[in-house]
Amino acid sequence: MEKKRPQLSLEELHQLKWLLGGVLVLLSVWTVFYLEIEAWTLMGLTTVAVMAALIRPALPARLPPWTHRLVFPAVVMFFIGDLWLNTQVLPAIVRLDILLLLYRGVSYRQKRDDLQVIILGLFLIVVAGVLTVSLAFAAQILVFTACALAFLLVINLVESADAGRPKDGAPPRVPAWTHLGWRRLWARLREVADWRVLVLGGVLFVGVVGVSALLFLAIPRFQLENSLFLERFAAKKARTGFNDNIKFGDVTEIQQDTSVALSVDVTDRSQIPAAPYWRMLVLDEYRAGSFRLSPLLRYREFSRGERVGDTIRGTARSPRGEPVYWTFYFESGVSRYLPLLGPFAQVRFRETQNYRVATNLGVVALREEPAAMTAYRVEGMDASDRLPDANFALRLLKLPGTDPQSTTLKMLGLGVNAADQATLAGMVREITGGVALPVAEFSRRTEAWLARRHRYSLNPNVPGGAGDPLVRWMASGEAGHCELFAGSFVLLARTAGLSARVVTGFRGGTWNGYSNNFTIRNSDAHAWCEVFDAASAAWLRTDPTPGADAGPGEQAKGEATLARRLDRSWAARWDSLRVFWYRRIVNFDQRSQVETLKAVKEATEKSGQQLRVKLSEMVERLKAWLASPWTAERVAKILGSVVALAGLIWAWREFGRGWWRQLRRNAPSGDPVRLQAGRWLRELTVLTGASESAQASARSWVVGPETARVIDDLQRLRFGARATWPEPEAVFRRARVAVRAERRRGRVTAS
Amino acid sequence: MSDFIQTAEVTEAKQALDRLRASMRVSIKGKDDVIEQVLICLVAGGHLLIEDLPGVGKTTLAYALARSMDCTFSRIQFTSDLLPGDVTGVAIYDETTKEFVFKPGPIFASVVLADEINRATPKTQSALLEVMDRARVTVDGVAHAVGSPFMVFATQNPVDYEGTFPLPESQMDRFLMRLQMGYPQPADELEILRVARTAYDAIAQSAAVTRADVLRLQALVHQVFVEDSVLDYILRIVTATRSEAEFKAGVSVRGGLALRTAAQARALVHGRDFVLPDDVVELVTPILGHRLGLARQTSDALEERRAVITVLRRILAALTLPT
Repeated sequence: MEKKRPQLSLEELHQLKWLLGGVLVLLSVWTVFYLEIEAWTLMGLTTVAVMAALIRPALPARLPPWTHRLVFPAVVMFFIGDLWLNTQVLPAIVRLDILLLLYRGVSYRQKRDDLQVIILGLFLIVVAGVLTVSLAFAAQILVFTACALAFLLVINLVESADAGRPKDGAPPRVPAWTHLGWRRLWARLREVADWRVLVLGGVLFVGVVGVSALLFLAIPRFQLENSLFLERFAAKKARTGFNDNIKFGDVTEIQQDTSVALSVDVTDRSQIPAAPYWRMLVLDEYRAGSFRLSPLLRYREFSRGERVGDTIRGTARSPRGEPVYWTFYFESGVSRYLPLLGPFAQVRFRETQNYRVATNLGVVALREEPAAMTAYRVEGMDASDRLPDANFALRLLKLPGTDPQSTTLKMLGLGVNAADQATLAGMVREITGGVALPVAEFSRRTEAWLARRHRYSLNPNVPGGAGDPLVRWMASGEAGHCELFAGSFVLLARTAGLSARVVTGFRGGTWNGYSNNFTIRNSDAHAWCEVFDAASAAWLRTDPTPGADAGPGEQAKGEATLARRLDRSWAARWDSLRVFWYRRIVNFDQRSQVETLKAVKEATEKSGQQLRVKLSEMVERLKAWLASPWTAERVAKILGSVVALAGLIWAWREFGRGWWRQLRRNAPSGDPVRLQAGRWLRELTVLTGASESAQASARSWVVGPETARVIDDLQRLRFGARATWPEPEAVFRRARVAVRAERRRGRVTAS
Repeated sequence: MSDFIQTAEVTEAKQALDRLRASMRVSIKGKDDVIEQVLICLVAGGHLLIEDLPGVGKTTLAYALARSMDCTFSRIQFTSDLLPGDVTGVAIYDETTKEFVFKPGPIFASVVLADEINRATPKTQSALLEVMDRARVTVDGVAHAVGSPFMVFATQNPVDYEGTFPLPESQMDRFLMRLQMGYPQPADELEILRVARTAYDAIAQSAAVTRADVLRLQALVHQVFVEDSVLDYILRIVTATRSEAEFKAGVSVRGGLALRTAAQARALVHGRDFVLPDDVVELVTPILGHRLGLARQTSDALEERRAVITVLRRILAALTLPT
């Protein structure tokens, strides 16, 4: 009987096909989770139905036959209705896709239907991938690729196994394989699993991914998302805490979320400030317990019209020397206001953006909340705590015939009644002692005053009562969060006649030791203040929240900051993967393409050169060795070494190998002699096609008398009693000769 | 006795079996595979059930075997009125000795041809049970050994079931193997027509092997070496039949043992002192086929037999052969 590897039966292949198809459906449908498309019900329904069909494959047979006839018209009606009601084409197509996948996932599939599952799934994955460019997508497409490859293989196996079977009428309503259990399939898969198939599959998978990577490196870059205008299907809605109008508690709410909001690369680490404040939004108007961007300021700063492009020129000047680049990877769902450390010389986006710039405020706003991660590179960014604003100074001075203090109040708003104003004035007197202080001194004293009266807490308690809530809080000794401290500071500063405003964004962050970048999480959200210093015509940053002020340990810049903020946790490992994805894949533009190719070229040249040097060194050493005088002692040494080596080889072959086999005869993997005999036997029977059980005389007609004898001896080594074994080494040597002879014979016969 | 067979013993056994084979070939044309199975059954010390249509050579085969050995032979034609005593023998009162004397029945022979066994009543069939299992007959509380070698060669017609009593499963399990003869190839049939001897008595050959030879072969078979991986393979086959949904019940422990012994016998027939996995594979259908019944109903025995063989083949294809 010819040796045959164990194989899955047709029924088992069908079962495996069903499983892989179901997994593909689920994988692709779950990608819609990342999109802002109303398909939750459909997704949930598909998940439940397909999982049920996976667990109990006989279930689809219970669907009455007429349902299959109704499916096509029903799907068409659904699509038309969806399009009519929602008018958006892409969401309707996505829902249609899910619906078709649902049907394919719960009905028995022919080959054509299986291919349809792959195409439908691929559509969903690609749409989600283009829209989100998230790391989850990368993982998903990898799993999808592996599954789809396996699925295609199984489809082909099913088809080839099915080809030999007679077709007798229509297929049965309940396929025969549905009664086979999953545990059984698992056991069978383990039985038939062959490391060669697994290695081959792995190589195929790596090959597909590798070719895709090469294509990715080589193809011209283009921006698919902009061409398709898909931004509106944003993955998540932006957070209210970073909106134009925030209520107290909004920023604190963000702090509960520890997900990454921003990752930052910097080319010169020495530029990293001791306490980085990532500014996003300036809020100037106080009204009824909340700060907002006043309509006046919005009009003045943002009314210059929307611009389209990939570069923004800023007011700061690039310092001399090597330019410092900060690359920001800003996650979706945070805000449309871009985090920045301060004024900048230039911001360059990965792709063209619609944006507005408030130069005086140092704020950049995109038109839409980004649907996917937005990358931008900032050059010449000033990370200091002052923001020059000459225009504001001019405006203050130019208001004719008005009291500067009331102008400030009018412009920026105090929004509290007379009683509250009196309370505030009392507080300011307490702080300043009734003396007009310079801005820096006022800030220091106010911060100290607030810290004396209030503790920091994420769960503040604003006492009830009449009047302004913030004033009530200030009057109490209750604990508070950053927004309350910042808001109080602004009201006190304004009462003291200074111009002050609230700034929201992030403070601090951690240095990821694996990917060497700054990671800022949503939990780093913060609110602080800026006070206008007329003397230097600049806004000075001040952070009244206790514990937030840069203490003595936080003064150091650069590497010292990094060492203090170093994060080597498991979360950092995961984040480093995300940064790698952004740096190398998502942010891979034409410039990166050229850089990568250059780097590859340089690395190849360098290693080639190193190899050449090493080789020539070796040749030189050999020449020197040959040229050195050949004394009797030297010759004797060489001869001695050769003889010793030959002796060692001989001893190993004569005794060592036998001793080693003796030692291993009861090994769990089996007696090495039996295993080796089995391998030779397989090779010879495959080569000769000789029946193993045929008698030697009969077999010799097919394979020649010596090969027949070798097969006999190998069989004895493999299956015979140890006491009756011929000398294994001699048999294996003869087997080697026989294999060569049979190969030659095979070639001659073939030619 | 040593644990392993000496090469000379294997050679001798092979020569004896080859002689037997050659002797049987004179009467049975073109049925080398069937002859080999009969030899395996003989060497393994088992009993044989031949199922096939009338007139394809079942009885001739039994005669050929019996006549090729220096052993006694008897034939029992099973009919519905056959009584157990007609098979085993009876105790008769002897006037001279004033005692009951046991008169042995036709079962007392080395090769017994139980022709059309399914025509006898279950009572008579069960009389065969003890003798097939223990090689002895108990009459009036006295056990009488039938001698050795002892081989029952039962035949039955699988198509014509009118007025028959199908063999109970317990009895089926006692047959080592079940064979089908099948029609001969045209060339072989021409040869049969040419020679044209109709009487069984014409199958007269000088004995190719002696009784002692057969006993030695039967003793030798248990010394044929079975490597662990081959035993594991047998176990996996037996276990697979037990978890197969299409079968009413799996193979018994006796079935597994039968498969092992038969594989050893086949190795000896092929002149080997160790079992190859192929020995097992070749014997799965004849050894296990009649021990398994389908869980579902079939229209006739032939269809059931075909379905059982298909499932067995599927099981074999799914199992990894030891290599």
